[in-house]
Amino acid sequence: MDDKTKNILKRRAAALARPQVEPRPASEFVETLEFRLGAERFAVETSFVREVYPLKEVTPLPGTPDFILGAMNVRGQVVTINDLARWLELPESARTAGSKVLILRDGEMECGFLADEVVGMRAIACDELEETLPTLTGIRAECLKGVTRDRTVLLDAGKVLASPKLIIGGKQ
Amino acid sequence: MNWMANWRTRSKLLFGFGVILVFFVVVVFTAYGTIVMAQNSQKKFLEEDYYAGQRLSEIRAFLNHQRVGLLQMLFMKDPAAKSRAIEDIREATRIIQEKLNEAFERVGQDALFGPKLLEVRAAYKEFAEIRDAQVIPLIERKKFSEAEKLVMGMQLARYGKLRDGLLEIFNAIEARAKENVGASNKSAAFSEKIFILTGIAAFLAAILLGFALERGIANPLRAISEAAETIAAGDFTVKMPPHERRDEIGTLSRTFKTMVENLRVVTQQIKEGAGVLAASSGEILAATTQVASSATETATAVSQTTATVEEVKQTAQLSNQKAKHVSESAKKAVEISQSGRKAVEESIGGMTRIREQMESIGESIMKLSEQSQAIGEIIASVGDLAEQSNLLSVNAAIEAAKAGEQGKGFAVVAQEVKALAEQSKQATAQVRTMLGEIQKATSAVVLSAEQGSKAVELGMRQVTQSGESIRALSESVADAALAATQIAASSQQQFVGVDQVASAMESIKQASTQNAAGTKQVETAAQNLARLGSNLKQLVERFRV
Repeated sequence: MDDKTKNILKRRAAALARPQVEPRPASEFVETLEFRLGAERFAVETSFVREVYPLKEVTPLPGTPDFILGAMNVRGQVVTINDLARWLELPESARTAGSKVLILRDGEMECGFLADEVVGMRAIACDELEETLPTLTGIRAECLKGVTRDRTVLLDAGKVLASPKLIIGGKQ
Repeated sequence: MNWMANWRTRSKLLFGFGVILVFFVVVVFTAYGTIVMAQNSQKKFLEEDYYAGQRLSEIRAFLNHQRVGLLQMLFMKDPAAKSRAIEDIREATRIIQEKLNEAFERVGQDALFGPKLLEVRAAYKEFAEIRDAQVIPLIERKKFSEAEKLVMGMQLARYGKLRDGLLEIFNAIEARAKENVGASNKSAAFSEKIFILTGIAAFLAAILLGFALERGIANPLRAISEAAETIAAGDFTVKMPPHERRDEIGTLSRTFKTMVENLRVVTQQIKEGAGVLAASSGEILAATTQVASSATETATAVSQTTATVEEVKQTAQLSNQKAKHVSESAKKAVEISQSGRKAVEESIGGMTRIREQMESIGESIMKLSEQSQAIGEIIASVGDLAEQSNLLSVNAAIEAAKAGEQGKGFAVVAQEVKALAEQSKQATAQVRTMLGEIQKATSAVVLSAEQGSKAVELGMRQVTQSGESIRALSESVADAALAATQIAASSQQQFVGVDQVASAMESIKQASTQNAAGTKQVETAAQNLARLGSNLKQLVERFRV
């Protein structure tokens, strides 16, 4: 076994080696679910996430605002699907086979949000979060909790779900 | 003599010669009259007097002969001789009477000796009757004495009377002849006088007429000839004396004057013409010189052309050989095109087989494509499973997170499941990529197969077309071979033609050379002409007009 082979094997081992997950104090970390929406990366706290569901047949709902894509059957339960990109006034994302629906829940309020791709679980340190950018205004400013150093936006799911826009009734 | 001036020259000459002729006629008539007179008197003398005289002298002779005969009879004894003498006397008597009659016929009417002749005749008649009646019978009866008495007596007197009468007539004739000769001499003398006088008059008239003709004809002619001499010396300014005469001299003078005028005008024109001729001949000389140089250039050009034609001839020979070569090549090409036709038919068969193979390949590829499609579906379902596993792992992780500290171990499991799901997702992605490539390749192969079959179809068509083309080509090549043979023949003819052209060009070259030489001669001639023109000009300059 020559040196070249040894080096290749070493590099493979280094690549395959998993980094040591260091135990962190719970208070300092927020468990989040990271997802991608267009070119930007977002995260929501896992405590608001009921489950992640693949995007299936969405029935369009007439007479609803344009950010509501429609209703979807999730194991016999009808869930409203919102276009989070349109909600956040981002460029409209293309719906693909890989698109997922994040079903968020806060108390009684339960609503589905479209995500282009679910990245996975991520623990974000609280001190790592920065304040939202002063330039952001409106709904974006309201719904943001902070931005990490690698520019992942942490959404405040509670505020999102509490937004009056989601309540569709006789007023609108 | 001025009264003759207006006569015509013919009249003048006729007049002059007429005068002379008149004298001549006078002389001739005089001479003729004289001669005729002399002739008449001679003729009359000869025919009448001389003739009568001759007869009379003959009569005298016979008379004497009779007398002698009679006297002899008186002495004759022989009766035979006597009768013979009687016969003789009788014969003489008849002749005498005849002659007397003849003489009487001629001069019986003549006043001078007519009566005398009558007397003589009557006397002889009487004499003869007496003799015949008395003397001769006496002699026959032998009475010679009586007879003698009678003869010597009466008969002698009668005989003398007869003889005197005849002599008288002779003398009268002679006297008249003498008279006639004297008259002739007188007439000749008169004629002589007339001749002399006429001769003198004619001589004088001739001198006078000569003088007149000299003045009337020769003098004006001399004046005209002097003028002509002046003109001959080249001076046309001569003045002619005015002549009002109406004869030929006047006409000649006037005509001469007109002629001099015309000559002056003509000479003037000739002078101008000579000037033009000199100038023109100079131009002709210049032109001819140019023509000569042009002819030389033409000769050079023709030589070059001849050389070119020679080259063309060689080229034609070469092309003739080439044409023969091409003809042979065309025959070979016919054979080759026939073998090409066979090859094309074989390739049509090959193309048919290739099409069949391509069709089976296409079917296989279609099957492969369908199978890869099924594999794709399987892979999609596997990918779906992996995705679901991933979601499941995420949900499990969420649930684990919700479970808090107790869910930590489950979170690790969820993590592992997620990793497996990721791996299977990557694997399916790889397989899908590979399958995609396979599908692409298959599609490409299907396309290629279709294109190949189309290409084969096309190739088939093309081969068929090329078969037809080659068939047509072989026919064309056959035609071309025929044409090449004809071309070879034509080329041969062309070569012959070019050869003829070359020889013709050679002739043209010679002709051109001769032409150039001829033009040189023409140039020389033009120079001579120019010289002639200038000479003529100088010559005409001598004339004063």
